[in-house]
Amino acid sequence: MPVWQQVYEEINDPDFVIICVAEDTGGEAVAGPIFDAANPTYIQIVDENHIVSSSFNFVNVPSAAWIDEEGRIVRVDEGTYSKIHQIGDGEEAITFGSDVYTPALKDWVEKGAESEFVQSAATVTGNLREHSFDQSKADAAFRLANLFRAHGQAEQAEQYWDMAQTLNPDSINFIRQNLTLSEEGSAGETFMKVMGDYVSSGKDYYRPMDL
Amino acid sequence: MAETFMAYPELRHPFEVTPIHPEGSTTVLYQGKTITLSETGQGEDLLINPEDLTRINGFELKPEGACYQDMCIPIKDDLLIDDDGKQWFNLTAFADLLEQPYVADLEAGAWSFSEAPAKRQSMMVNAVAPDIELTDRQGKVIRLPDLKGKKALIVTWSSW
Repeated sequence: MPVWQQVYEEINDPDFVIICVAEDTGGEAVAGPIFDAANPTYIQIVDENHIVSSSFNFVNVPSAAWIDEEGRIVRVDEGTYSKIHQIGDGEEAITFGSDVYTPALKDWVEKGAESEFVQSAATVTGNLREHSFDQSKADAAFRLANLFRAHGQAEQAEQYWDMAQTLNPDSINFIRQNLTLSEEGSAGETFMKVMGDYVSSGKDYYRPMDL
Repeated sequence: MAETFMAYPELRHPFEVTPIHPEGSTTVLYQGKTITLSETGQGEDLLINPEDLTRINGFELKPEGACYQDMCIPIKDDLLIDDDGKQWFNLTAFADLLEQPYVADLEAGAWSFSEAPAKRQSMMVNAVAPDIELTDRQGKVIRLPDLKGKKALIVTWSSW
């Protein structure tokens, strides 16, 4: 999140806003300290029910949309890292992310519709993944689970989380959210198997970014 | 990568047990909102006071039907029910008509509705930003349509 704050300060345009949305059922307890560490001045949302991901049909985080002054989506992407990140050092180091997104964003804020990175409405709608009835129903089950969780009713919460994953088994959001609230964590054996299955079946994980 | 990367098992069920509807009310979840209905009809369908419709999903009952922005869905007889002089609107039958998914836990009196495909058409066809309402960490309500006049980047992340 510090990097989005840096980007926001570099752009420094009163007619540009960043809405930074944490898809975290763990809520303020997990997302709050990370936000606070960035000293953010952009809009910060803790989205316990993953409303934003389901509204835009994003399969995973980070994902993003550009919305113009008229309220139209002019670009949508998945895997929208603000820079290349590195975890660890030397041979153990793992890098992820990309350095192409932020320059494109800055170009759009400066040039608006003239930016070469603006997508047509047809491209945007083509890039938004349409959800099936069951995938959409999974959102309802997930939110019902979160209601039970908030009321300390673990058995029902688990029941409806399971229903959500069964109805939408491809949602990395649901899978990783579930694993995060477990002993195994979000990048353990189960997640590696899910990733392996994704790759071997030829499914998109993040849609390739056209930048 | 360590197997315990981003593991918060202690946050899986951290809350005390509390009833969802202490006063026998009904809870409706819709697009991040939690709506409490003090009065609903009997049966397995969700029968609501017609005047509650708008605060649930934004539709308004008009002579031409249930309307949202410039879209009006004609209301068939089975959606408005007279029960001994009391009128109910059958919200689940309306959802079925719209092919809008929902999940109900009748024991808890809780109903969770996904977005209706008809309300997503302007996004899926014309790339109009979805009409969603989010509450920021300071408690301020942000509606995407209210941001008109500014460029906005909406970006997701997570602690995981």
